[in-house]
Amino acid sequence: MRSFIKKDLLIFWRDRKELATVLILPILLVLVLNFAFAGLFSNNEQSSLDLQLAVVNQDDVAEAMARLNEKLVNEASLGDQEAKALVEQANDIHPVQLLFDFLESEDLNDWVTVHKLEESVAVDKVKEGDLDAILIIPDGFTAESLYAAFVGESPATTLEYKLEKETSNSSALYSIIHGFIDHLNYQFAIQEIAGASEPAVKLPEGGFEKIGAGETFTMTQYFTVAMGALFALFLVATVATKTGVEIREQVFNRILLTNSHPMHFLIGKMVSTICLVLLQIIFVMIVSHFILDVFPDRSITFWIGLIAMVILLSLVLSGLAAVFTAISLRVNDIDAANGIFMLVILLFGIIGGNFVPIYILPNWLQQIGEWTPNGLFLVMLTDWIQFEELSSIVKPSILLTGIFLLFTMIGLALFPQRGKAK
Amino acid sequence: MLETINLSKSFKGKKVVQDVNLYLNNGESVGLLGPNGAGKSTTISMISTLIKPTSGEIKLNGVNTIDKPGEIRRISGVVPQELALYQELSAYENLKFFGAIYKMKGKELEKGIQQALEFVGLEARQKDLVKTYSGGMKRRLNIAAALLHKPKILILDEPTVGIDPQSRNHILETVRMLNQKDGTTILYTSHYMEEVEQLCDRLYIMDHGKIIAAGTKAELLSILSTEDTIKVELNKMDETFVEYVKTIEGVRKVEASHSQMKIIATKGSNLISKLVHLAEKHHIQLINFHTETPSLEDVFLHLTGSKLRN
Repeated sequence: MRSFIKKDLLIFWRDRKELATVLILPILLVLVLNFAFAGLFSNNEQSSLDLQLAVVNQDDVAEAMARLNEKLVNEASLGDQEAKALVEQANDIHPVQLLFDFLESEDLNDWVTVHKLEESVAVDKVKEGDLDAILIIPDGFTAESLYAAFVGESPATTLEYKLEKETSNSSALYSIIHGFIDHLNYQFAIQEIAGASEPAVKLPEGGFEKIGAGETFTMTQYFTVAMGALFALFLVATVATKTGVEIREQVFNRILLTNSHPMHFLIGKMVSTICLVLLQIIFVMIVSHFILDVFPDRSITFWIGLIAMVILLSLVLSGLAAVFTAISLRVNDIDAANGIFMLVILLFGIIGGNFVPIYILPNWLQQIGEWTPNGLFLVMLTDWIQFEELSSIVKPSILLTGIFLLFTMIGLALFPQRGKAK
Repeated sequence: MLETINLSKSFKGKKVVQDVNLYLNNGESVGLLGPNGAGKSTTISMISTLIKPTSGEIKLNGVNTIDKPGEIRRISGVVPQELALYQELSAYENLKFFGAIYKMKGKELEKGIQQALEFVGLEARQKDLVKTYSGGMKRRLNIAAALLHKPKILILDEPTVGIDPQSRNHILETVRMLNQKDGTTILYTSHYMEEVEQLCDRLYIMDHGKIIAAGTKAELLSILSTEDTIKVELNKMDETFVEYVKTIEGVRKVEASHSQMKIIATKGSNLISKLVHLAEKHHIQLINFHTETPSLEDVFLHLTGSKLRN
């Protein structure tokens, strides 16, 4: 088995043209596309960024301290004196005011225009497209967030961020509000240092509802992932082409005559495909990252997850290589078969979103595209880059594993019996 | 040692090999001679277990190899007509790969590689990629790959096609040495009469999927012992003259091209004096003529009515 894998890798390594195609070309494309699109965005977006945010304040600050006192006594079981001391301390903290101060600060003035509106009016204006999003400060927000800070629980009431549809403007606003939470946390931290003798004040966690946004998924990340996956697909076509050469030049027959089990040939192809795809995608991602800082400041967990997904993709593509190899051994016209394989690869590339972002395709095509191995990989990686949540990648991972098993079984079933190869 | 009994193969209903019976004794060198498309490669593919026969049997020391191909694969080496080599690997890497899948390893593999390379005279170029080799060198490496596991039977399918005379001689010499010094049993197919004549103890002549004659060279030539072959050179070629020659008593076959004629006639038919008279009558001058000893080519011509290399 090792001989088969070594031979395949060595043959691939010697094919410098192919090597340059799968290693250098995707990086060049990532660079070119990134610079081309970066130019477009820098001209259009930054200079014209004017974010319109409706703020609906339903909180009654006047009642907040009384509610806080009540909660501290009833829910946190503090004594009256202790509760009063905390309320007194809380008098100096006004989360709602802090939010307005932040939104109307000099840093944000040029970018964000705040409209203080009633909810119904705000909703209408967002629907009409006059505003980008709504931030609702719910009733009891001040009392709840202060209570949460004092007792170290998550707040029962959170900021609500609403939008009609996700756009780059609404995502930017989300990031700005996220910035506010950081600011608020900072304020609490300062207070914690100032009043060290007071009960431990834990910073509030979260504080607002997430709606459709996490880390931004950048164009550079899209190009890197898409090109990596696309050229990994091309690798499968290359493996099939090289199998064709082995058949045409009768090397496969010579292998059969050695009494070696023909299945070793197929498994060798699969394992070498796994190695090649892994090396190729990781090379493209790492080199792109060092040149363009594609995944800045990401955790070790992120990188481990990324590598796990690439391993999954390489498994699926090895299954596809098994199918192509088995078909190659069955057909009379190997050139025609190679042409069909390339068509399949290109089709996967197009509907899987490797040539253009999948959202520009019709809905029905998007749905099909998400069932292609590369499409699933892209969806999974997009989620991982944005949210880094294990739960969001479980389903696509299971699907990818299923596709790998399906491809492998098809490959094994199609693999010709001894003497049946063309 | 190895025999085929009524071996036949059909592709899409067309019989390409029909009831082939042949045998190879231990240490023998046997030639399978026939024109392109005669069914030699198909016969060899069946013997080497690459394809299954439609009917018939192949026996190795009495054991049917169709059901149990392992033993014949273990003891035989096949040199296919095509260059079954990885062009992007060096000679050494090719042999190492094939040796490894023959389950050779370590020192045994290394020794086998070096011996095979030395045998075909490629040890100095073993690290070069096969794609940089000449046609003759590739052919020699093709043989080396079949010798790695020291086979008892070597099956060669047209191993000298398309190479220069020097490489051809080298290959023929290698095969001869394998047979005579190492005692390897050889089954050699070719459409080059002289190669088979030179190398083989016995011959099978194949045409249109059938064995049409078999025996030692002397036995095959004896088929023509009742005939004379006369080559005549004329000052000009005349179709009418050729037609008259064909009517001479005892003449069996006439081949005419440019100013030459090859006439096969019954021994003792006094052909030369009759030819001289006929030429005078047609005002044709006989420049040169000589009687030829029959060759295997003549035997083939006699048996099939056509030349071997067509």
